[in-house]
Amino acid sequence: MPTTLLEQSSLFLQQFVNGMTLGSIYALIAVGYTMVYGVIQLINFAHGEIYMLGAFLSFSLVSGFFGVGLPFVLAVTIAVLVCALAGVLLDLVAYRPLRRSPRLAALITAIGMSIFLQNLALLIWGGQIRSFPRAVIPVFLFAPALQFGEVVVSWLQVVILLTAVILMVVLQLIVHYTRLGRAMRAIAQDQTAAALMGVNVDRVVSYTFALGSGLGGVAGILVGLYYNAVYPTMGYLAGIKAFAAAVLGGIGSIPGAILGGGILGLAEVFGAGYISSSYGDGIAYAIMILVILVKPAGLFGRPSSNKLYRG
Amino acid sequence: MNTGRFFLVLAGLVLLSLSAGSVWAQAEKIKIPVAAPFTGPLASFGEGIKNGALLKEDEINASGGINGRMVEIVLADELCDPQEAAAVATRFAHDPQVVIVIGHLCSSATLAALPIYKEAGLPAITPASTNPEIGRLSSYYFRNVYRDDFQGDFLAAYAEKVKKFKKVAIFYEVNDYALGLKDAFTKAAEKLGLRIVGAESYMAKTADFKAQLSKFKMLRPDAVFIAGYAPQATLIISQARSLGLKCAFFGADGLDDAVLLKNPDAEGLFVTTPFLADQGGARVNDFVEHYREKFSLEPNWFAANTYDAVGMAAAAIAAVGLDRGKVRAWLAGVSSPEKAYQGITGATYFDENGDCLKAALVKMIRDGRWVSAGEQLR
Repeated sequence: MPTTLLEQSSLFLQQFVNGMTLGSIYALIAVGYTMVYGVIQLINFAHGEIYMLGAFLSFSLVSGFFGVGLPFVLAVTIAVLVCALAGVLLDLVAYRPLRRSPRLAALITAIGMSIFLQNLALLIWGGQIRSFPRAVIPVFLFAPALQFGEVVVSWLQVVILLTAVILMVVLQLIVHYTRLGRAMRAIAQDQTAAALMGVNVDRVVSYTFALGSGLGGVAGILVGLYYNAVYPTMGYLAGIKAFAAAVLGGIGSIPGAILGGGILGLAEVFGAGYISSSYGDGIAYAIMILVILVKPAGLFGRPSSNKLYRG
Repeated sequence: MNTGRFFLVLAGLVLLSLSAGSVWAQAEKIKIPVAAPFTGPLASFGEGIKNGALLKEDEINASGGINGRMVEIVLADELCDPQEAAAVATRFAHDPQVVIVIGHLCSSATLAALPIYKEAGLPAITPASTNPEIGRLSSYYFRNVYRDDFQGDFLAAYAEKVKKFKKVAIFYEVNDYALGLKDAFTKAAEKLGLRIVGAESYMAKTADFKAQLSKFKMLRPDAVFIAGYAPQATLIISQARSLGLKCAFFGADGLDDAVLLKNPDAEGLFVTTPFLADQGGARVNDFVEHYREKFSLEPNWFAANTYDAVGMAAAAIAAVGLDRGKVRAWLAGVSSPEKAYQGITGATYFDENGDCLKAALVKMIRDGRWVSAGEQLR
């Protein structure tokens, strides 16, 4: 182990940066879970696959997998838009017909869609890990942005953190200060009453899926770049972790999802770094369980009233 | 209408008799099953296994088969997953036409299939599983590849004597192959006075290795030994570089894959391998040439070892016929250098555990290509 105080503290700082990066990615995915849950009380287990789709689409568009290689920024934009569209489509095909059925039916459908999308990706892209070709990614992303002593923060880490923060702020603005946001909050409180007041419920739910899936797609792209690895099963583990983050923060609450993601990311990295490298995940989940035991509704969840967008 | 239906039935009957005919013809062939991951993350390893087996199948059949009967390689995909491997093994065990199995690739898969073959009295040769326990656990398992205790010893000696490393950190995956390697390497390093400054583990499913690598960075090792497989190794090396870890990286045969060639960060990586195309004689050159012709690929060690394993299986069947017990006895009888099977990977003969002694070679990545390391240790 490193011995001097300087080494110890720079290791701590490095792990903190690693954990925050991971946490902001979890937060981006967790927000998608929590938004959909807030509006229609559905845990959309296929959300992790939308994230995987974002990574694969940007990889394919950039590397010319579909025949033409597009410039990086254009490819990423298209990938996010397609993810948003895929989310809407997912709702349209799989969840909307079941809106009036028992919740369990929709939940099982969500799991089915998750498996379906994973296998679809396996069929299209194959099972091996794909990497972004180095030539097509803006070079500066891999250069160190900050370096003090032994601690290195890459531009990519800065970009991930900034993207997460900006998107979260924008999302809060949308939810609190736009007509769409107000409609979403209204549906979250009482779907029937909102419909009676003239809110087009189906359309608002579609927008919710589009927003959440777009954010999931962004997370997928960032992760694909950060680890330089894109593979069909990547959505499963990330989806479960983000779901845990959403539950930890109080499912239905957007600030809760952000905080939950941050806590989970830090716990995982510090667990792996200081306790045992094989149990990083386990430690993250243990923290989640402890929080739930003390506060069953999660950090920002209120058990009694219905759900969305407080705080 | 009626005549149309009549012809349909007639056509159906003709098809039926044709397919029945082909089933009957296939029964004449000698089935040799080959089990490995042919899809999934380790599919590129499996591809070498498949191609090596198919090349040998071609050669055996072109020279008249085994005592006049054609050979058919039956491929079974087990994804390197112990559960899938056990399912595949059960299928072979219950197929009376199967008298020997070639496989599996991953040690964890081999160890899962091993008790099933043992119980069914079905001999098997693994061309690639290097975990030390395999031979000791079953008298029906043979291998024509070295063991990890040998490979670990060899790597430690190479790191210390040739590379002159003083401090090494180990990054190992949690599986039977990597744990065996790590233990062997650690033991050998202690004897040689090579300091192990840290050992961290990772799971195959994760893509984030930064927590462990940040720790390694503070330990300032001369090199990091990655005990695991290529798909993760390429991520590990890239993430290490992005954290500013500048030390050398090396690994064992699990890293011998083209995926690392696409990664510019992996320049200079060296690995052990049981087979190098440029270190053999005329027979090896023939093999390499035929392989390139048939698959437009360079053969790797998986292909070479499988080619020889299928050759040994065919030799056993040719000598004693289609009988599991007799095939096992024949293989066990290949027990000394004089009786050895002469293949393209050198002379193969088994000790009392069904293990064999073979040389390890070293290759490295230079300018995005595998090249034989200038200095070999023999």
